[in-house]
Amino acid sequence: MSAAAEIANWRVYREFARIGFVNILAFRLRYYTGVLTYFLNVTVYYFIWKALYASDPHFAGFSFREIVTYVAVGWMIRSLYFNNIDQDMAQEVMEGKISMTLIKPVSVQWMFISQALGETVFRLGMLSLPVAAVLSLVFPVSPPASLAHGALFLLSLLGSVLLVSTLNFIVGACAIRLKSILGLLRAKFFVQELLSGLLVPMTLFPAPLQKLFAFLPFEHIGYTPMLIYLGKLNFPQVARALAVQALWVVMLATFGAWFWDRMSRKITIHGG
Amino acid sequence: MTGEVEAEGLTKDFRTFQRKEGIRGAIENLFVRQYQTVRAVDAVSFHIRPGEMVGYIGPNGAGKSTTVKMLTGILEPTAGRAAANGYVPYRDRTRYTRTIGAVFGQRTQLWWDIAVVESFRLLQRIYDVSDADYAARMEIFDQVLKIKRYLNTPVRKLSLGERMRCDLAASLLHNPPLLFLDEPTIGLDVVAKTNVRQFLKEVNARFGTTMLLTTHDLADIEELCRRLMIIDHGRVLFDGALAELKRQLWRHLQVKIELKEPAQAPALESLGANSIFRERLDELTYRLTFDRSEHSAGEVIRRIVAAVDVRDIFIQEEPIEEIVRRIYTGPSVLEIGR
Repeated sequence: MSAAAEIANWRVYREFARIGFVNILAFRLRYYTGVLTYFLNVTVYYFIWKALYASDPHFAGFSFREIVTYVAVGWMIRSLYFNNIDQDMAQEVMEGKISMTLIKPVSVQWMFISQALGETVFRLGMLSLPVAAVLSLVFPVSPPASLAHGALFLLSLLGSVLLVSTLNFIVGACAIRLKSILGLLRAKFFVQELLSGLLVPMTLFPAPLQKLFAFLPFEHIGYTPMLIYLGKLNFPQVARALAVQALWVVMLATFGAWFWDRMSRKITIHGG
Repeated sequence: MTGEVEAEGLTKDFRTFQRKEGIRGAIENLFVRQYQTVRAVDAVSFHIRPGEMVGYIGPNGAGKSTTVKMLTGILEPTAGRAAANGYVPYRDRTRYTRTIGAVFGQRTQLWWDIAVVESFRLLQRIYDVSDADYAARMEIFDQVLKIKRYLNTPVRKLSLGERMRCDLAASLLHNPPLLFLDEPTIGLDVVAKTNVRQFLKEVNARFGTTMLLTTHDLADIEELCRRLMIIDHGRVLFDGALAELKRQLWRHLQVKIELKEPAQAPALESLGANSIFRERLDELTYRLTFDRSEHSAGEVIRRIVAAVDVRDIFIQEEPIEEIVRRIYTGPSVLEIGR
């Protein structure tokens, strides 16, 4: 099914997003502890960076003030763009529940992604905003470099969410062949944490690796929005970064649709 | 054509990975993988006309569900051809599934953690059902299924019977001309089973919906279907009218009796000798099997009660496994005994 047909069907996918939102509501307790987890993560990194900056005040091309903001806002946006559709898909495939999805006249890809978007709206209210409030009260977090940078940062966050969702869909689709996909999910998790710039800024990697990682989608998930937030990119650079991000989303979505189509022919569901 | 199903040489192979046991086997598995091909459905052909209700029956693992999964577009056949509602199911999945309904007794198509009505609203959107049609159909469904009272309950809190009723309504919200039912009554109690059957009958009468249902409960077939297909090991063994099956193969009733005294067992000997087949299940329990065309159930019971003191008595029709066995083995022990 073409992307155009899916856009014409946007009402259906909006409804899926709503279901994603309502569904997660049943698990809202899980998110109360989430605020604490994010706070602890940022605290740990705050002290690590503090120790590092005591010996070198311009480590990795960031001032201490910038790096604190980087860590705090970086985790805050991670609470927003993160989703588990790779895991959800793997589970549906392994339990055979995927057949209930396949009997519906919708694109499986956009169904999962829409549900993830609904979940994102929920996470924004239940997780990201409380996390932002707590972090900005406790740590010296700077505001965006300018109002325009702030607006473009928000735009790039939308790109991050779509990027993570389209990527997760591809990883989830692998479950059809692999059956036991836990290893792949873990590997992807750690690669994403590291290469999205969540744990350390990309400037900390050796130059050849930085060049290599620039060809991967991961740094556009967390690092790009953070550079925009901190004003490290001028406007032509921002425009370019956003275009690259959008290009990745389109490429991953297109590949995901093709990949799912290939994979879904191999589905085997035994028994009921 | 709408409401029509055709299968021609429909075949599905599954390739399964043979695991070796033990630590050594686990290491070997890393390097050498042995696969085994299992043919779940073997060149099945049939034609279902619009408005027909057809039973697709067979023992566990016979290939019933796999056939339904191919016809609903979930699985791609290894060989052969299928057409339904004028589509090739696995090829035109998104367009085709718009025109069918499907119920899988062991799974639900409703969202587990949210209220039933949320799933219904989503389905309404997916299938583009107008508010007026939605309301009218809910009214009709509610008359038999009585689902309105569960609409605001999360699916996980429903009993199996309640959930199945909601699933049935969900599968018919868009009034599809073709409905697939995979074990729709599995695990349900007698009341719920009756309710489901009555509903299916009414939907068929009212909307002319073609239905293909798999089951291993012959009572489902007897209530609903004039035609049935029996499948085992992926092959169709019988395709014809229920009346024909009854005349040819499904003639036997089983009476299970529990005696009060083991000492009375010899008294059972006197019962009809050759035309009533007797099996000893344990020292107090016996099973008598007889041909309905030769003895009536009433007559047999009367003779049993006259001969021995009975603590408990059950009558049932032969299970599907027996009929399948009879198809394979030809005339049964009963016939040979004569």
